[in-house]
Amino acid sequence: MSDDMLRMLRDSAADFASLDAVRVRRLRGAARGFERSVWQEMARMGWLGVLIPEDHGGLGLKPGAAAIIAEQLGRALYPEPYSASAVAATLALLHGDNSALKQRMLPQLAEGNVIAALAWQDERGGLDIDQCAVKARVQGKALILDGSSRFVATPEADAFIVAARSAQDLELHWIARDAPGLACEAELRADGSASARLNFTAVVISADTRVASAATAREALQLAIDHAMLAASAELLGLMDCALAMTLDYLRTRVQFGKPIGGNQALQHRAVDMYIQKELTRATLGAAVAAMDNPDCAPQRRSAAASSAKARASQAALAICKEALQMHGAIGYTDEYDLGLYFNRALVLSAWLGNAGAHRSRYATLADAI
Amino acid sequence: MKYGVEQERDWNALTDGAFRDIVRAEVEAHHPSELRYPPRRLRWAENRSWYLRMAAKGWIAPGWPREYGGMGLSPTKLLIFLEEMERWGIARFQDHGILMVGPILMRFGTEAQRRRYLPPILACEEIWCQGYSEPNAGSDLASLRTEARREGDQFVINGQKTWTTLAHDSSHMIVLARTDKTAKKQSGISFLLLDLKTAGITVRPIRDIAGHDEFCEVFFDNVRTPASNLVGELNQGWSVAKSQLGFERIHIGSPKLPEYGLQVLQSVARARGVQGDPLFRDRVAQLQLDVAHLGDIYGHFAAIVGRGEALGPEVSLLKIWATETFQRIADLIIETAGDCGGLAGKVQMGDGRIEVLAPFYKARPTSIYGGSNEIQRNILARQVLNLPG
Repeated sequence: MSDDMLRMLRDSAADFASLDAVRVRRLRGAARGFERSVWQEMARMGWLGVLIPEDHGGLGLKPGAAAIIAEQLGRALYPEPYSASAVAATLALLHGDNSALKQRMLPQLAEGNVIAALAWQDERGGLDIDQCAVKARVQGKALILDGSSRFVATPEADAFIVAARSAQDLELHWIARDAPGLACEAELRADGSASARLNFTAVVISADTRVASAATAREALQLAIDHAMLAASAELLGLMDCALAMTLDYLRTRVQFGKPIGGNQALQHRAVDMYIQKELTRATLGAAVAAMDNPDCAPQRRSAAASSAKARASQAALAICKEALQMHGAIGYTDEYDLGLYFNRALVLSAWLGNAGAHRSRYATLADAI
Repeated sequence: MKYGVEQERDWNALTDGAFRDIVRAEVEAHHPSELRYPPRRLRWAENRSWYLRMAAKGWIAPGWPREYGGMGLSPTKLLIFLEEMERWGIARFQDHGILMVGPILMRFGTEAQRRRYLPPILACEEIWCQGYSEPNAGSDLASLRTEARREGDQFVINGQKTWTTLAHDSSHMIVLARTDKTAKKQSGISFLLLDLKTAGITVRPIRDIAGHDEFCEVFFDNVRTPASNLVGELNQGWSVAKSQLGFERIHIGSPKLPEYGLQVLQSVARARGVQGDPLFRDRVAQLQLDVAHLGDIYGHFAAIVGRGEALGPEVSLLKIWATETFQRIADLIIETAGDCGGLAGKVQMGDGRIEVLAPFYKARPTSIYGGSNEIQRNILARQVLNLPG
């Protein structure tokens, strides 16, 4: 992937994705937390297919390209489920072993006609893919799924790629949203978007819609999650950069006691610490992208790189947003001021796919193993 | 002229792997094992023989161009060279001559100064220290008062320097001195070269709180140095000194010390049997990530240097993060050591002996020297974040 191509991608994403705070506020808590029309526009820009091979209707770029787009979407607080669908679900399908399903669905995902979401966590959440609470079993002549899955972004998906434990091992299955026996309950997130809790009661599945057999499911799922963590980290980087810029502006212009409050050394030094966290996130994300884009990167190293980035990004975004709020004073705590939009999104993305503590633990375990 | 038997070899023509193997083989075969990972700054008497060997090989100045007697390593090869030294726990010597004086003379010096001073630096016959700080000029270095008065073809120096690292192991000093008392602060300062054997110089070691005497105070009483030892223009010494500041910050920002701290932390944790404790694991993971991310951002700045570009004021963040990460690690070491955290020297812990307090003592001054971290934050706030003065 050439630098020119990545620069073009970044520029087009930056031009397209500017903060529309009116839209972000309007969609909070709405029945559908995002807009299909915007999703279609994103498809036309080629973003939904960046990771999809060219012969399946995508651009066939390396995963780092998705991080570039995610960072810009994070800056503009896009509620569309880019990291969840265009990265996580798309990669799970791509790295599974059902070529007919890929043939059929990857172009649909790239064109934005179908939105898919990955369902793999149990009631408690966490990052262990073996902690899966959906079981696949044979009943008579049929294969059926039972169990539940939580923290699925987004409830508005047209289909879910569901991790299920079978007699063999973990498998991934494509389940349409309207499949009989599937109940989808939305849970409101701090930023007004929603995640889903799915309940499966004797949902009938077949080999045709098995995304990944036991031979590939584990690695396909892990890879998809790792790259979604990277994309979420990039979104966090974008939003923390904006929250910091907003705060620096405020420090320069807000006058108290006859001078800008940013002239106070106590605040200057704290602003520097926010800046350091942001720059660490940027450097670490860059290093993780480089490691994960390398085709020779072993799975454990890839997972360690993803955890490294997500741990820093989650921690830094929360730290920066909390300091931003304090430095703004009361205005920062009001809903009319845009800082709160960044703050609430930081809460959501920091917790989604593992918070800083969860990733420290995962990193420590992986680092021991490497 | 050739400086050492291998100095003129074209190292950059080797593959990275082959070059790494050569460096690794050399250090593993010849570096004295008792000098690996020293808990304090070594004195010249201790590591002299190793560095004389490096000089004889022509390896003493890996980053200098070959025309000046260096190895002329490309940025990548230089990084490999330094990585291999660090991997084997090889301590720096009093290397201001290599790291500062050489590059400054190459850029600002006269041909005569280079001919006179570079060869003995390469041979380790002349060892340099840095005479910048004074009792009343620390963070506010530009308020320094040591003066150099021109008399005929000499400068006469009077005043005092302090916190001069290893002055008692050095034969020469670079001195920042005031040559125009009427000019404002930075604009009246000159950069001089000084032989410490000159009459009128007194060097007094200062014992630090760890019990070591690594730094000194240096007094000048009518000390005469030839006018030809002025580097750069008269009264332009501040720009000469500043040209190396970015380099110093990237040097202090290397992940080397925090990585050493993590090693000690793991030894202490093993001895105390707390490695499996979830809370301890979490705190160590945080520090491991802090060090890993330091490495990532260090790589970013090293790449800028590697491309031959100038470092901006952003590099100050590296110094802050490296030193404060090292301090957090050192804090956890003594906390984990428990009662042993109050014992001096090599402490019996478990089956072995660990110098528990060494990282802690080593970490404290890192946020003070090289421009205190408060000064670095001021620089970032004003010059990078554009906050009002």
